[in-house]
Formats: sequence, structure tokens, C-alpha cells
Amino acid sequence: MPPYKAGLLKRKIDSNKTNSTSADDKEQSSSNDEENLIQGELDAESDATDSEHGEDDAESDAERDELTDSEDDNESDANSDDSDNSNNSEEEHSSDSGAGTGTAPSAGSSDEAPKNKTKTQTSRLKPQQPNKKQTKNKSTIDKLADKIKETKVVEPVQQKDEYESGDTSDEEDRVNTAGDVPMWWYNEYPHVGYDLDARRIARPPQRDHIDDFLKKCEDPEFWRTVRDPATGQDVLLSTEDLQLIERLRAARLPSADHDEYEPWVEWFSREVLATPLRAFPEHKRSFLPSRSEQLQVARIVHALKMGWTKTRKQIADERRKKRERQFYNLWGAGDAAEQAQRPRSLPAPRRALPTHAESYNPPPEYLLDKREMKEWDKLAETPWKRKYTFLPTTHGSLRLVPAYPRFVRERFLRCLDLYLAPRAIKMRLTISAEELVPKLPAPRELQPFPTAEVLRLRGHAGPVRSADFDPSGQYAVSASDDGTVKVWETATGRCLRTVELGEPVRAAAWTPAAGLSLVAVALGRRLLLLNPGADVGAARVAARTDELLAEAPPAHDAAPDARTAAAVSWAAPDAAQWARGVRLALTHFRPVERVAWHARGDYVCVTLADAASRAVVVHQLSRRRSQLPFRRAKGLVQCALFHPTRPQLLVATQRAVRVYDLLRQELVRKLQPGAQWVSCVAAHPAGDNLLVGSYDRKLVWFDLELSARPYRTLRLHGGAVRALDFHRRYPLFASAGDDPYLVVSHGMVYSDLLQNPLLVPLKQLPGPEKRGELCVLGLRWHPTQPWLLAAAADHTLRLYA
Amino acid sequence: MAADAGEAQLQVRFITKQEQYAVSDSPYAIQSNIQSSELNTLINALLKETNPTLGKVVEFDYLICGELLVSTVAEHLQEKGLSTEETLEIEYLERFPAPSPQDCLMHDDWVSAVHTHGNWILSGSYDNSVHIWNTKGQHKLAIPGHTSPVKAVSWVSFSGDQAVFVSGSHDQSTMLWVWNVSGNSVDCVVTCRGHDKGVECLSVSADANRFATGSWDNNVCFWSTSLSDEDNIPVKKKSKPEQGKTRQPLTTLKGHREAVSAVQWMDHNTVVSSGWDHLLKIWDCELGGIKQEIVGNKAFFDVDWSPLNNSLITASADRHLRLYDPRSTDSIVKTTYTSHTGWVQSVRWSKTRDTMFLSAGYDGQVKLWETRSPKTPLYDLSGHEDKVLCCDWSNPSLLISGSCDNTLRVFKAKHATAGS
Repeated sequence: MPPYKAGLLKRKIDSNKTNSTSADDKEQSSSNDEENLIQGELDAESDATDSEHGEDDAESDAERDELTDSEDDNESDANSDDSDNSNNSEEEHSSDSGAGTGTAPSAGSSDEAPKNKTKTQTSRLKPQQPNKKQTKNKSTIDKLADKIKETKVVEPVQQKDEYESGDTSDEEDRVNTAGDVPMWWYNEYPHVGYDLDARRIARPPQRDHIDDFLKKCEDPEFWRTVRDPATGQDVLLSTEDLQLIERLRAARLPSADHDEYEPWVEWFSREVLATPLRAFPEHKRSFLPSRSEQLQVARIVHALKMGWTKTRKQIADERRKKRERQFYNLWGAGDAAEQAQRPRSLPAPRRALPTHAESYNPPPEYLLDKREMKEWDKLAETPWKRKYTFLPTTHGSLRLVPAYPRFVRERFLRCLDLYLAPRAIKMRLTISAEELVPKLPAPRELQPFPTAEVLRLRGHAGPVRSADFDPSGQYAVSASDDGTVKVWETATGRCLRTVELGEPVRAAAWTPAAGLSLVAVALGRRLLLLNPGADVGAARVAARTDELLAEAPPAHDAAPDARTAAAVSWAAPDAAQWARGVRLALTHFRPVERVAWHARGDYVCVTLADAASRAVVVHQLSRRRSQLPFRRAKGLVQCALFHPTRPQLLVATQRAVRVYDLLRQELVRKLQPGAQWVSCVAAHPAGDNLLVGSYDRKLVWFDLELSARPYRTLRLHGGAVRALDFHRRYPLFASAGDDPYLVVSHGMVYSDLLQNPLLVPLKQLPGPEKRGELCVLGLRWHPTQPWLLAAAADHTLRLYA
Repeated sequence: MAADAGEAQLQVRFITKQEQYAVSDSPYAIQSNIQSSELNTLINALLKETNPTLGKVVEFDYLICGELLVSTVAEHLQEKGLSTEETLEIEYLERFPAPSPQDCLMHDDWVSAVHTHGNWILSGSYDNSVHIWNTKGQHKLAIPGHTSPVKAVSWVSFSGDQAVFVSGSHDQSTMLWVWNVSGNSVDCVVTCRGHDKGVECLSVSADANRFATGSWDNNVCFWSTSLSDEDNIPVKKKSKPEQGKTRQPLTTLKGHREAVSAVQWMDHNTVVSSGWDHLLKIWDCELGGIKQEIVGNKAFFDVDWSPLNNSLITASADRHLRLYDPRSTDSIVKTTYTSHTGWVQSVRWSKTRDTMFLSAGYDGQVKLWETRSPKTPLYDLSGHEDKVLCCDWSNPSLLISGSCDNTLRVFKAKHATAGS
């Protein structure tokens, strides 16, 4: 509550008090009368007496020091004016009074001031008088009044002294302004300092000891005469001075009229006054919350929040809890967390409402007759077969119904049930197997793809090792262990030509160059280049091919180095071989395993068995030369093929597939299929994807743009994967191996690099039956149609469409 | 009326377009599980009532809602989603009699092409020879001349003793032969060279002045059939007198992206060709451009045009035969005929009946189809033991097919002239 409001409240209470305590007032009236009298005197004397006002001023000074400053200034100004006025008149006699009134002027001027002020101040005081009268019953005011009374008694004496003192303000002019310097500095000079006008103050005539003695003898006042060192003049000490000296000597207070032991007046008490003791308003900061306090409180609150400090109540609670004994709540429901962990309880099924048969007095048709009773008895061994679980019986009234004999037993069993076999909701796994299968488009939407076997090409007498189509898809060529290469017409399955080579043929591959009819055939250590076209109806193409091959290689070719020469030798076929269609024969130092053409048809890459570092040989047909691209063996080379678009060579060893750049002659990347034994590799015609088949039944798809890690591993086969092929036009690939199925899959590669390839296994085609361990040895897609040619171990080729 | 679920009664009315077999227009009540054989007895009984002079029993086929009845009437109606409440109109027509096997002509190798004209059968074989037979089954002549399997043969014209035919082969040439019927001597008059790869098919125009060939080099070529070539071949080109004269194509139409599998003349200057690139192209011979293109979704193996019903029947690299109407702007398949179990290699319209065609497939079956029965063929002409490569119905009474089992089988169609 702001102080002024409290004051108001207090005033109200006081007014009530005055009403209620009027009797008290009357009782005190005897003493009050005296005060009133005094007050009345005060009023009467207020105009006349300066001392009262002076006292009043002093009081007001004490109450409001700041405010009165300005008034004091005014007063001092007035004083100076007065002194100026008086200076002129009193200059003459001040010089007369001389040393006797040296210190007086200051006191005199201060005493004079109230005298000048009285007229203004009395007018100011007068309005305050009624207030004082109203509040005279207050103790502090009483004391004030007492004080005034006391001072009033003393002051007339002081006043008299003032008037009697002869000092004037004139002598102030003669003040020595030498400053705070020892006076002996002037011993040698005729003057003793300077006055305000910088005139020298002449040293007064010095007296010697004789003069002193004489004066001591003559002057009765000599004992109280002292010399002022500043002016060099004799000063006669007044009686007050003497008294003062006496008091100082006696170690008492200098002023005689100061009462050291006067009673202490508590001006500033906790009591709220009706009018403030000091008139200036409350300072602003008393209305504002304290910043430092706020910080301190915030610190405490934070500590409370964080639990660093605790309130007394909390500490007490904790202490009490610690003192209490802890019991395990055996019957309690447990806390929420425990409740959540427990299996959710299942509400018991609602019991069926009782029927008529359960009534204490059932209708007669519900009672069992003799026949039913007999049946009831018969089923005593198997009570669950009975019509009722109880025997309907009739009672005359409800009162006659006996106690249920099995009540306790059934309650016990119920409790056992609850305890041993609590009912709970069994959370069954709702994920069905279908949901776990990834969302793939339906195979119907991904047509066309081969769905059935349409042609079976018979004619070989041994397992067919490999098959290939010519670039237009009109013919197919197959290589078999019976030592023949056969050329077939694709559309009808007609064998158009059989080339007897007399040695099991490992591989046959038709050149991918359109307009040429050239088949690379691997048998034993030889690689033969056949031209089957002449006899199968492609005479013009065959002639063009022969023409091209007849061109001699450029003469400026450097001779092959010794290493290559030891590995490969080129030979032109003899006449008999030429008649069979052989156009070129290359003999290697090791058996040829696989043959792969470059996309342009000039290079053939040959994989040799057990040849260590010379396992991969690249032949260039136009220049009749061979190259051994590798100096050191990186492993057992399974197959090597050219990248379909870039000048790169893919070499599959037992565990890894390496991609070599042929131009820069360096390893580009190494792919780890994670398979035990890689069997075959096929490159997507766009070149960015690679499919690796392995003998441990895996198919590993690599996205070369994505990473060197497998993009996906497909397990589509129950046996080793031996053959793979990508379709050149449709997003299809096929794989086959030792299990009697060919798997045709959709392998869509998007031109958008952000989109991953979509792999969907489409169809499991029933393949040829097994011969020994082998089933399908080679696979090839038709270059333009979605047809698949499989070379089978059962001496046939099968075309699926 | 005691009506079991399977034996509901139907109100039917019999109509026919064959006036000699007309019966009264009044509706009859029949059992719904009745079959065509029972309907036959009913119709015959009715016919006997109206026309006692009609001696023998006639076999009929029944059309309900434009489709041939093959099962019971109830099943047929259920399949079509028709109600049994209303009066049903059943159209009947005399059944095409079952063709009877007549002959089996043995060859030395696979028979890849066949064509008949009148009494003479021309067949091409994989042993590079062309054979001439008569309908009695007598082998008249074996003509070697090609150096590769003969893939297409066709008669061009008969004029008295002189018969002209062409044969196309995988040796990239087409040969124009003249056969002296009485003398039984044959002569290769002209060798047509212009294809880069084997000739796959050929077709002679209706006026026998030109023929078209399709080849593995993706081109369709037009040739003249004139025996003398002074009019259109420059003198300097004449060479190789031992092989007869060499002829250049009149026009070469490039457009197919893959092998052309069949060409057929639609009228005197329109040719339809089918290709492995899933396209049917209709060419204008005079302009040498494409008139229309029909896109299929499988490689086409054969196409045939029927001027009787203006439709194309095609065989593609699946088990289905598809009927296209080139007049419809959107090349939608009108009907799909499915009964073969393997690729269908050849398909031929009947020359006399607008609703019948013949197909030969790799499942060793030759099937006689009625266009209004897409699921079931009229007859299966079995007998071949291997893939059937070609079939022919140029002579309306002879249904001929050639197969990989080195035989040419001839079926005789009785009263083939009957029809529209």
C-alpha cells in the first residue's frame, strides 16, 4: 500500500478515534489547557519573536533539507544585501572596535538573517497553525511543542548577547588573505599579509618583553588578551570565549547550552502519520520491483524447479516418508507402466440370461420326465453331453431353495482359472505373407515375353553347348559336343546346314556386325571363323564376308611379341576346311572356353582355360593380330566380354568382376558379387547394368552407375546358373542353369538415372530335362523378337515365344 | 410346368436364309439343354411336314446371336448373358460337310509351299525343288532349279497347254516357269533377282500380270509376269542365258523394318503385307506408298485377304488368329480365334464362302474355321505328324496342307459350291 494511502487510512481511523475518545480528551483537558495556553502565547508572539521563527526554521530544515536549500540561498542573498547596506554605515566604527570583534561578524550576520525573514515566514506559518491544533494529541507533535517551549525560554538570553557584541561586518575587509602559510614567513617583512584589495597589511607595532610586562602591570585585562598571529593584533577574549576555553579544558562540550542527555525524539517511527513528516513525494524506485531482488528470486525459483533446493515442506515430507515403513502393495493394480506391459485383459463373455429351466419353480415342460431322467443318468460319465448343466428342480417357494452345494468348489475353480489360465487378448501377427512380397507390376502388364515352348530343334547327337542368332534373327547357330555346328532357320526350326568339325565344340557366336555372316567357333584349342552363309541362302552376305576376309592385313603391322606369339598362332585354312566354311583358324596354347564378340564385329575376346595371366586373348580380325591384355593373373578367369557401348573389357574371375578400360589400360572398377563362384556375365545393351550368374544359384544385378555393390541379388534358380542373356530390344533377361527351368525376368532400365532398375521375375518356363547334372548350357534372345533360344544338354535347342 | 433348373423351357423361332429349308415362323417351346443334334431332328421333322418331297436328312448349323451353337442352348445363352424369358431367334443354315481325307502326297523333304489351280497342285519343298501334282495324287514333275529351300510357289496362268508358275526361294531369287502340260516339260523362263535375302512369300495379282514378293531383306518387290522381257528390261541387263533371263523388280517397296512374312493382293493395285515387325501394311502399287498401317502386338507370320467379306485374317507368333477389318479406322482386332496350341504358320480364306477359312499350325493341326465361332473350329483336319507349314484352299473343293513330315495332305470338301 502506498504511504499516502496508508496515511489517508490512518487519518480516517484517527477521526473515528477522536469521536470515540472524546471522553479521554476531556480527561486530558487539564494538561491540554496548559498547552493551549502556551500555543496561544505562541500565536501571539509569533509575529514579534524572531527566535521562535528561527527555531521553526531549524525544524523545517531538518525535515526537508533539500527543499529548503533554495530558500537558504535566498536568505543568504538577502543577508549579503543587508550586509552591503550596513557596510557603508558601519565601516568607521568597525575599525574602532578593532581586534575585539575579530570573529564576530559571521555569527552576527547569521543571526541577522532570521530578523529579516520574519515577516515572510510568519505569513507562511500562519496557515499551519490550525493543523497543529488538530493534531496536538499526537505524541511527536507534543514533543515538538515542548521543544519549542524550551528553546523559547533560552533564546532571549542569546539575543541579548548578539546585540551587545560590538563586532561588525566592516572588519571583514581587513581580513588577512595571506593564506594558509606559517606566519613566521613574514618575520622579515614589515607586513604580515594582504587584504582583499592586495594591500599590505602593515605589521602592528611590536612590543618587547618590557612593554609586555608594563602592560601586564597596567592593564587589568591583560590576562584575557591574546595576539592574533594572522593580523598581529591583540584580541580581548570575551567571557564566552573564556567559558568556552574553560569547557574545552575540562573536556566538555564547547557549547554550554547543548544538552547531551536530552531525551531522544523518534521522529521517524513506523506509525503512519496523517500528514507526511516530509512533504516530498515517494521516489519512483519505491514503486518499481527491485531488479536485484528479482534476479535473486528467479535464481531460487529455478533451483526449486530443478530440484536443487527444496522447500521446507518438501524436506519435511521426504523426511517423513523416509521414516515411514515401506510395504509392497500386494493387492494393488500396479502402476500404469506395469499395466501396459501386461497382456491386455479380456472382459469375460457376458453370461446368458437365465432361462425358464433355471427358475426355482420352472414350468412343468422344463422339468425332466422319466425318459429324460434316464438319459440324464446315462450321461453321468459325460456330463458335457447333457441337455442342461444342472437339473431343473421345482421348489414351492424361493425360501425353500437350498443352498448351492458346489458354491465353494466352483469359486475355488474359478479362482484357479483366473490364476492359472488368465484370459488375455492374443495379439496375432496381422501381416500376411502377401504383404511382405514387394509390390511389382503384374506380369500381364509387362508383355511381351516368352510364355511357352514353340519349337524344338532336334538334330544334334550330343549336348548343345551354346547357341546364337544371326543379327537379323533369321538363322540360329548351335555348337554341340558331337563335333558339329548347325545352322537353323529360326522360324521353322529347319536345320539348314551342319558343319562337321570332328571335335567337341565349346562355343559358337555369330558376329554382331550386320551384313556379315561369320561365326566364331571354339573347339579344343582352336578358334575357327566359319562362314555358313553360302549354303543357307545368304549367298550375297556370304560373298561379302569372304571378300572382306580376303583383304590382306595391313603390312605395316608390327610383329607380335614373343609372349603373344607363344600363345596364339593364326593360320589360313586348307581347301577341305574352306569347303566346310572355315575362313580363319587360330590355335591357342590352351583350350578355348568362351568366345565373345565386340559390338562392331572386328574384335573377338577369347577366354582360355588354365592359362593364368594369358587367359584372356583379344583378336582383331581385320589386322590378323592378337593381344594379351593382362600381364598378371588376377584369379581364375571365368569369362571375358566387351562392354556393349564403351571401350571396356569385363573380366569375371571366380569371385569378382573387373572392368578394364582398354584405351587407358587401367582397371576402372571391381565388382564384388558376393557369390562363391561366378559362372557367367551378361551386360545390359545400354551398358550401365551388369548381370552376374554364379554356380551357387545366385543372379546378381549390378547397376554400374549406382555403385560397385550389387543392386539386387536374385535367387531364382534351384541349381547353378550357367547361362544369362539380355534382350537387345525388350526389357527382358533370361537365366537358366542346372535346374529344369528357364526364368524370364523383366529388367527395365530407365533412362532417368534417378530411377532404379525395375526387376520383375515374369515366367518360369519348363526347360529341357536333365542329362546328368546339366540342363541348359546356353541361352540367347532373338535379336528382334521376344523369343528365347536355349541350348540344352538333352541334344536339343528350344525356342520359347 | 415342372421346370428344373437345367431344363427350362424356351420359346424359339426358327429362321433361315436358305429358302429351300424354310419352316413356319411360329414359335416353338424347346428344352433349354437341347443341343444342335436334337435341333437337327426337330428341324428335319418340321421340314418333312412342310415339304414331304425332301428326301434325305439335312445337317444344319445354328446361329444364336451371331455365334455358332456348339454346346447346349442354355450354356450358349449363359455365355452370351442372354435371358431365357424372351422368344429366341435361331438362325439355321446347312452345315458345311466334314472334309474327308483324300490323299497324302509324299515328298523328299519338308513341304513349305503349296498352291492349287484347277486340277493341278504346285508344291515347294525344302529340298530346293518344286513339284507338280494333279488332284488325283499323281506326281507329274519334280523341278530342281533353286539352290535353297523353296519358300513360296504360285500358279500364274493357264492358257491351253501352257501353264505359268512362279517359285520363290531362300536363294534370294524368284523364278518364273513355263510348264507344257501335255509335253510335261518345264522351263525356267525368267529369274527375278532383286532381293538381298531369301524370298519368303509371293502372291500373283488377280489379272496375272504382276506378282509381289516379300523377303527377309524387309522389302516388298513387284515383278512383271510377262514371259518376254523386251518391254521393261534394258538390253545390256540380259545375260546368263543358261539360267534364262534375269529380271529386275518393277517396284521395290521399303517400309518394313523386319522380314516380310506374307503378301496378298487385295485388288488390282493394292497389296497387303505382313511383317515380323508387328505391322500389317497396305500398299498402293501405283503410287508405291503405304495406304494404311495396322499395328499388332506380335510378329505376323501370315495374312490373307478375302474379297468376299473384306477382312484380313492373320496368323502371328502366338496361338491366336486375328480378324482385322482394314476399313475400321482404329486397327482393333475384330475377333480372335483360339484353338491352336502352337504357332500358326499359315492361314487361308475360302474362295467361295465368306465365313470360312483354313489355318495350319505348328501343333500339327489344320483347322477349318467359321468366323462366327471364335472358340471352336468347325473341323480339325488332323493327319500331319509334324509342324504344318502351309495350307491352301484355292480350289474350293480341296483343302491342302504341307508339313514338316514331308507330306502334302489333301482333304476333299463335299458340295463345296453350296453357299452364298
